[in-house]
Amino acid sequence: MTTRRELFKFAGGSAMGLLLTPAPWRLITDTALWSENWPGIPRPAGGEIRTRFTHCALCPAGCAVRARCVGEQPVALAGVDGGLCPFGVAGHHLPYHPERLRQGDRQQAASALAAAIAASTPDRGVAVLDLQPGRTASWTYRRAVAAIKSGVYLAPEEPACAVNLAAARTVLSLGAPLLDGWGRPNLVFRARPDFRLIQAEAIESRTAALADEWLPVAPGSETALGRAVAGEIGAHEAAGITGLAEEQISQTARALRENGLALIVAPEMTSEVLRWNLALSGWGKTVVPRREAPVPKTWIKAAPVIPLAAMRDGSLGALVIDESVPGAHLPWAEIERKLAPGAVVVVFTWSRAGYARHATCALPTAVYPEAEGDLPQAIDAPEAGFRLTVPLIPPPPGMTDPAQFVGALAGLDIKDALRERAGAIHASGRGSLRTYADGKSQAVKDVKLDDFWKALNAGGAWTSGTEDSGKPPKPASITAPAINTDTLWPLRLAVDSPAAAVLVSPLMAKLSQESRLRLAPRTAALHPKAGFEDGARAMLETPYGGCAIEVAVDASVPPGMVLVADRPEIADLRGADGCARVVRI
Amino acid sequence: MNKRYGMSIDIDKCTGCGACVLACAVENNVPPLPKANDRRGITWMRVYKIDNGEEYPERRSAFVPMLCQQCGVETPCAHVCPQQAVELDPATGIVGQMAERCLGCRYCMAACPYHARYFNWWDPSWPAGMEKTLNPDVAPRMRGVVEKCNFCHGRWHRAKERAAAAGQKDIRPEDYVPACVEACPTGAIRFGDLNDPSSEVAAARRDPASFRLLEKLGTDTKIYYHSKRDWVRQIANAPHPGGSPGGKENIRG
Amino acid sequence: MRRNLFIVAGVLAGLGAGWAGFPRAIYNSRPQPVDFSHKIHADKAGAKCEDCHAFREDGSFAGIPTLEKCAGCHAAPMGDTAAEKNFIAAYVTPGKEPQWLSYARQPENVYFSHASHVKRAGLQCAACHGNEGSANHLRPYEQDRVSGYSRDIWGWQGRPGMKMDDCVDCHRRSARKGSGALAGERSCLDCHK
Repeated sequence: MTTRRELFKFAGGSAMGLLLTPAPWRLITDTALWSENWPGIPRPAGGEIRTRFTHCALCPAGCAVRARCVGEQPVALAGVDGGLCPFGVAGHHLPYHPERLRQGDRQQAASALAAAIAASTPDRGVAVLDLQPGRTASWTYRRAVAAIKSGVYLAPEEPACAVNLAAARTVLSLGAPLLDGWGRPNLVFRARPDFRLIQAEAIESRTAALADEWLPVAPGSETALGRAVAGEIGAHEAAGITGLAEEQISQTARALRENGLALIVAPEMTSEVLRWNLALSGWGKTVVPRREAPVPKTWIKAAPVIPLAAMRDGSLGALVIDESVPGAHLPWAEIERKLAPGAVVVVFTWSRAGYARHATCALPTAVYPEAEGDLPQAIDAPEAGFRLTVPLIPPPPGMTDPAQFVGALAGLDIKDALRERAGAIHASGRGSLRTYADGKSQAVKDVKLDDFWKALNAGGAWTSGTEDSGKPPKPASITAPAINTDTLWPLRLAVDSPAAAVLVSPLMAKLSQESRLRLAPRTAALHPKAGFEDGARAMLETPYGGCAIEVAVDASVPPGMVLVADRPEIADLRGADGCARVVRI
Repeated sequence: MNKRYGMSIDIDKCTGCGACVLACAVENNVPPLPKANDRRGITWMRVYKIDNGEEYPERRSAFVPMLCQQCGVETPCAHVCPQQAVELDPATGIVGQMAERCLGCRYCMAACPYHARYFNWWDPSWPAGMEKTLNPDVAPRMRGVVEKCNFCHGRWHRAKERAAAAGQKDIRPEDYVPACVEACPTGAIRFGDLNDPSSEVAAARRDPASFRLLEKLGTDTKIYYHSKRDWVRQIANAPHPGGSPGGKENIRG
Repeated sequence: MRRNLFIVAGVLAGLGAGWAGFPRAIYNSRPQPVDFSHKIHADKAGAKCEDCHAFREDGSFAGIPTLEKCAGCHAAPMGDTAAEKNFIAAYVTPGKEPQWLSYARQPENVYFSHASHVKRAGLQCAACHGNEGSANHLRPYEQDRVSGYSRDIWGWQGRPGMKMDDCVDCHRRSARKGSGALAGERSCLDCHK
């Protein structure tokens, strides 16, 4: 009969014996190894590394992108012609964005729209609002809308001209973020050593910090400066409005006229800005007509482009908004006023944060780099161009292609619109094709149609080359400036570089959370004299509503302005006026 | 011949866009950390905003990209590590951080005068699906270890593999470009071999207007900054331009 | 005498458990999904290692061949073994990739370049992987239950191993022989990521 003591002796002996074996030491090491690989730490997928090319669809710059892919999945993006912006570098994260819309009732949307079309009259029209005009999908909408009863194609106000930065020796930027996401950044930086940049802006922005000269004008007074250098108003009057010294304004005007070609650039290239550039003799050189790639002849019968602002208020019974490609976010108030009571609003979007908040029905779409499409020309592209954003990965199930949906509503078959467009471009025989894989350029005349289409899909771009600009247009008439004397809304609301509206990846928080390079969402920067401490909670209020924000004290922002990170909700709050106030809570 | 990889950063060209910060995080599988702040986050490359201290409108700003300065012989972090988890590679001049050996004491973080080392307070996690975008050339780190810039060692490996496959003895310089250098839209950050007299960084080193940060500590770093603006140089404690070339400068406080 | 009996018995039991029982218990043995015979392919098909385990153009190593490679010859049965018929039915026809269990898969933080070792140093496959080519069956895949690593890379089987110590040993030996390979005093990050 074994006793308990003998049992313990046995156990003790086994323990000693085990210590002389590899077992316990191995278990300790194994546990450490297990902790390196425990569930939750993802293991990067291995596989063949391939290089694929596409164009970034996050903004109209449409930079050429070289994607380093493991198998088919992009894991790193780099620019073909230089660096990409911080959004472009993390662009391949966009399909996995937590804000992504994944569900939508296509049946409900289709039947609601069909009913609205059947009941449409000129007073209750059906409109498609295209937030990224200039694409081939835009032509599809125009063709579809022409076949729909009382159909209208709406777009944001289009720029009055395109800009040729390389031709300018002096550039006066009236608040345009020229070095911070304007135009095609890699070309801007390539041209940078050849021009003198004068930045006229209230805020000491990134562009102002690196400009050759910064003119700290009073908020909202950039128009006065533009008129002064164009000779439409006197330097004395402009000095009064902008707060600059009269001598400084005269000096700037002289600099623009006496040092070769000069260019005036503003965040929106309106007809007024074009008028100033015409006064500086820039037509055909620094400012040129906006050009588009050729379209098939059968498309010319499409509906005209109508600016949203020109639409009569309350005249739409149904509105389809294409928000599938990141672009301008028009304030909701501007859109809502065009709707008749009980109007159906269907929005095609990739994000829950945009118009999906206001629409009757939101349908999810594929997003870069899943989506196939082409890109409009950037503001600084003096020639016509055609470049595709090529799908690198398949979209998740349940996505809708907005152009096909709208085409189906109108009874059109538009499956191969991009291919047709490429065919029309090839048939025109103009321009050249540049392929990224080998870096070569060749005339379109020397390329067969099939190869042309294949090259565009494998990473290439068509450009038309320089064309004659023709006679300068008639300058737009001078209108009296609107002066904001509203003391209820003493601050001017500005947004921190529009491209920030697409928070492409949660990694972007490193720019606002772990450093202070950019403003975090729901943060407002105010001058120290505004009377808030750093980190204070407040309400940002505008005539259109309000939202809770946290204050960041920043001496780059002048008194009288509040700077906020651009998000759809902020664009809605900003409206067309841009005035605001910040109140303590 | 041993290489000494270094960088030259032109502060007058940096627009503070942050592309380098993002590119570094993408390349090195740095997770997004929703609960982080500037003390607990992980940004192997970080861009600081400095200003001349004046009131608006005399205020002027500049942006300084900040990363591991790859100190020379007297590497503070390597000196203090109890695990020998950091070492200066004599063949490349890169100070390599090995997360596998690190036990997380964070002594190196205290020793680093540039605050260029970051601790994993949490296990890495990405939103659903985003783990497909991870870079296979860099291993993700578990929580409890320190990490920092290794001059994109994964790209160094790929360049060497390509050279070995092609039968070359040495890598091609264009094959080894760190992510931040590749991403910079203005070309403010340049990379190369300081021992190669024809490289851009060697030229920056010879330029008397270039300076290194905290030179008085004697860390012999390999990142050369450049700015023509006096107030920037003052903040960086740079010696006055026109001092002796090569960086043997007067030690000023 | 009886006092010590249990202690001695315990020690012996412990030693036995640790040396003999523990290796059996700590490893989880699984067969490969397909009963592949290297010998048949080497003899009858005249295949050498690099015919299936090839390098890609950029110098990276493709490792275990994908279904595409096998289906290139085995679209229809080439022999009369049951194993081949099963393979075609279960994998080639439905186009499913076999989930091979890789003996040599290193931990995530290890960087190994086949190009440097095979192309530059001219190492034979068998030097590290053992003589797989002469085996008629694939040996079962033994995996550490706790850490999840294969026995080949974190265990001892009396064959050339692939633990870090084995790599370092070989490098030191070849450095002594003066072959110019990496010697002992190299940077950790040369082999780790």
